[in-house]
Amino acid sequence: MKILTLLSGILLLMLSTSGFADKPGHCSYARPITFGILPFVSAEQLVIRFTPLVNYLSKHLNTQIRIETAPDFVEFTRRTAKDHRYDILFTAPHFYSQAHKAGYRLIASVDSPGMRAVIVVPRESAIKSIDDLQGKRLATVNAKSLATLLVRKHLTEHSINPDKDLKLITTPTHDASLLSSFHGVTDASALMQPPYAAASKQVRDSMRIIAKTDRAPHIPISVGDRINQPCATEITTLLLAMASTTEGQQVLKHNHFSGFKRSQSDEYEKIKALMHQP
Amino acid sequence: MTEPIPLLKSLRCRLIVSVVIVEIVMLSILVWNNISIIQTTHTDRLRDTASSMIQQIANSSGNYMVAVDYATLEDYLKNVINYKELLYLAILDRDNNMVISLGPYPKHSPPQIDAHPAQTDDDIFDIAEDIKVAGQPMGKVLIGFSLGLMQEAINKSRIRGISIAVIEIILTVLVTVIIGIGLTRRLGMLSNAAAQVEAGNYSVSVPTEICDEVGKTAAAFNRMVTEVYNRTRQLQKAESRSTKLLHENRQLVHTSLEIQEAERKHLARELHDELGQCLTAIQADAELIRDLSDKDRRIETSATAIMDVSSRVYDVVHSMMHRLRPGILDNLGLVEALKDEIKAWESRNAGINCNFTYAGEFSNLGEHTNITLYRIVQECMTNITKHARADKVSIELYNYGDQLLLKVVDNGKGLEMQSHSRGLGLIGMRERVASLNGTLQLDSKPEEGVSIIISVPLA
Repeated sequence: MKILTLLSGILLLMLSTSGFADKPGHCSYARPITFGILPFVSAEQLVIRFTPLVNYLSKHLNTQIRIETAPDFVEFTRRTAKDHRYDILFTAPHFYSQAHKAGYRLIASVDSPGMRAVIVVPRESAIKSIDDLQGKRLATVNAKSLATLLVRKHLTEHSINPDKDLKLITTPTHDASLLSSFHGVTDASALMQPPYAAASKQVRDSMRIIAKTDRAPHIPISVGDRINQPCATEITTLLLAMASTTEGQQVLKHNHFSGFKRSQSDEYEKIKALMHQP
Repeated sequence: MTEPIPLLKSLRCRLIVSVVIVEIVMLSILVWNNISIIQTTHTDRLRDTASSMIQQIANSSGNYMVAVDYATLEDYLKNVINYKELLYLAILDRDNNMVISLGPYPKHSPPQIDAHPAQTDDDIFDIAEDIKVAGQPMGKVLIGFSLGLMQEAINKSRIRGISIAVIEIILTVLVTVIIGIGLTRRLGMLSNAAAQVEAGNYSVSVPTEICDEVGKTAAAFNRMVTEVYNRTRQLQKAESRSTKLLHENRQLVHTSLEIQEAERKHLARELHDELGQCLTAIQADAELIRDLSDKDRRIETSATAIMDVSSRVYDVVHSMMHRLRPGILDNLGLVEALKDEIKAWESRNAGINCNFTYAGEFSNLGEHTNITLYRIVQECMTNITKHARADKVSIELYNYGDQLLLKVVDNGKGLEMQSHSRGLGLIGMRERVASLNGTLQLDSKPEEGVSIIISVPLA
C-alpha cells in the first residue's frame, strides 16, 4: 500500500511537471503584453528591427507580446507617464527617469559602454571640426531626442550656441538626418552613433565624423505596473541569457546589440540634466 | 393579269420578315453581349478599384497602427472616404476592436466579405485586408462599396443599348419595307407586263426611270418585247405567205387531181366509144370474112387470128378503161365498186384475207366523193401489196349522215411514224381527203400493222 501510494505520488509529480512545461509562465495575462518602443525610427523600421526580439520573448514567455509605438517622442512619453500604456518599455535613456517616476521598473539595459551622438559631414566638405559649423545648417532629429540633447550639450561645451551660431534643422529620424547632409540639403548631420553605424556602407564611406559627444547609458528596458515581479524576473532572465544561446545571439545580431545586462536606475539619473538644458 | 401571290409567299413579305427576324436576333445578341461586357467591365473595375484602394489603405495604415496614431490615420482616411462609391471604411485593431469607422458601417457586423461585386447579397461590396507591417499583423481594414452607382451606370448603358437596338430595328424595318415595296412593286410590273406579252399585247412597256438592277432588267425586258414583237410579226407574215402558198398549192393539187380524173374519165370514154367500136367492127368483119371464106383454110385462119387479136386488144383496152375509170363506180355506186376492186385485188393477192364492212347510204355521195374514196382505198391496197406483208386486211365504210368514216387496217409489219420517208401515195391520199375537207389519221407501230382512218364531213 505504501509502495502504491509512493508510485502514485511520483506519477502525479511527473504529470504535474510535464503539465507546467506546456502551461503559460508568470507572464500569462488576459490581454497581450505591449512592448512599447520609442519612435526613434519609422514605425516600419521599428517593427522590422524589434520583431525578432519580441518574437523571442513571446516564444519563451509563452505569451503574446505586441510591438507598439507612438507618433512622436512627446506622445510616447505622455503615454508612458500618463497612460502606463506599455508593459515593457524600450525608451531613450534620458526618458527613463520620467518613466521610473511613473512606476516603471528597470529590469535590464543594452550591454554596452554607452551611446554617443556624432556629427558628420560629407567627406569632401570644408568643415573640419565643429568650429567650422558656425552659420551652417545642422540636421538633427527630434529636439527631445538623446542625439539632439547630447549634441546641444557638446556644442555648448565648445562655446557654440546651438540656437544662434548655427541653424538646427529637425528631421523625423536619424536616417533622415544623415541623408540630409549626404544629399547636400544640410551642411552636417547629428545622430546617434548606432544608427550611423547601421547606415549603408556607401553612405558611411561618403561621410566623415567631425565630432563625438560624451557617452550616455545605453537603452534601458523597464516594465510597467501590470507586469508582476515573477514575470519581470523571467523577462530579465531571458534577456540576460540571450547572449549565451545561438537563437538569442541571432536576435541580438539583428538589433546590433551585444547583449543585455542588469542595470540600476540611478545610472540614468545622471543624464536627467540633459532634459533641462537651456 | 397574273394571279395574286399569297402574302406569306410573296417576296416582299419574306424579305421584310427575314430581315426583321435576323435584325432582332442579331441585335438582341449584340445588346445582351454588350450589357454583359458592360456589367463585367463595371464590376471588374469596381473590384480592381476596391482592391487597389484597400491595399493602399492597408499599406498606409501600418505605421499609424503601430504608433496607435488613430487620429492621424482617421484624418488621412477622411480624404479617402470622399470617394463617391465608397460607403464605409473601418479599421480594426489587432483585437478586432473597431478603432476608426467612417461612413455608415453595416449593422450586421462584421459584414460578409464578398469575393466579387457581382456576388454580393446586399448591394454592398464588402472587402477586407489585413494591415501588416514587416509581415506582422497590425489590424484589419474593412471597406464597403455601394453598388448603386455601378448599377446606375449599367442601367444607363443597358437602356442606351436597347434604345439604339430598337431604333435600329425600326429603321431597318422601315428601310426594308420601303426598299421591299419598291423592289417588289417594280417586279410586279415586270410580271404583269410579261403576262400581257404572253397574252399577245406587245405594246406594253415597263418604266425604266430608276437605273438599278431592276431598271436594267426592265430595259432589257422592253428590248426583248420589241424584239419578240418584230420576230413575231416576221413569223406571222411568213406563216401567212406559207399558208397562202400551201392553200394555192393544195388548190393546184386538187385541180390537178380533178383534171386527172376528168382526163381519165374522158380517156376511158374515148377508148370505149372509139376503140371499142372499131374493135367490134373488126371482129364483126373478121367473122364475116371467116364465114365467107368457103372453106378456104388460109382465109379462115387469118380471119380467126384477127378475131383473136382483136379480142385480146379489147381485153387490154377494157382493162385500161377500168383502171382509168371503173365503170361500175358510175353505174352501181361506191360500195359495189369497192367490192369489185377488193375481189379483183384478192384474186391478185392470194393468201391475203380482206374483209369489207360497210353501213349506211352511199348512193348520193357525189362523183367527187366516190372517186376520191375509191382511189384512197385503191392506194391503200396497193401499199399493202407492196409493203405491208399482211395476211389480213379490214376495210370499213360508214355513213353517219353528217360524216363518212373510212377505216383501212392491216396486220402487216407496220411503219415508223417518225420516218420522214413517206411515199407520195400517202401525200396523195392526204390531199385527196383535204379536197373533201376531211381528215386522215395514220397510226402504226412496227410489227403491229397500219391503221388509216379517214373522216369526211357531209354537207
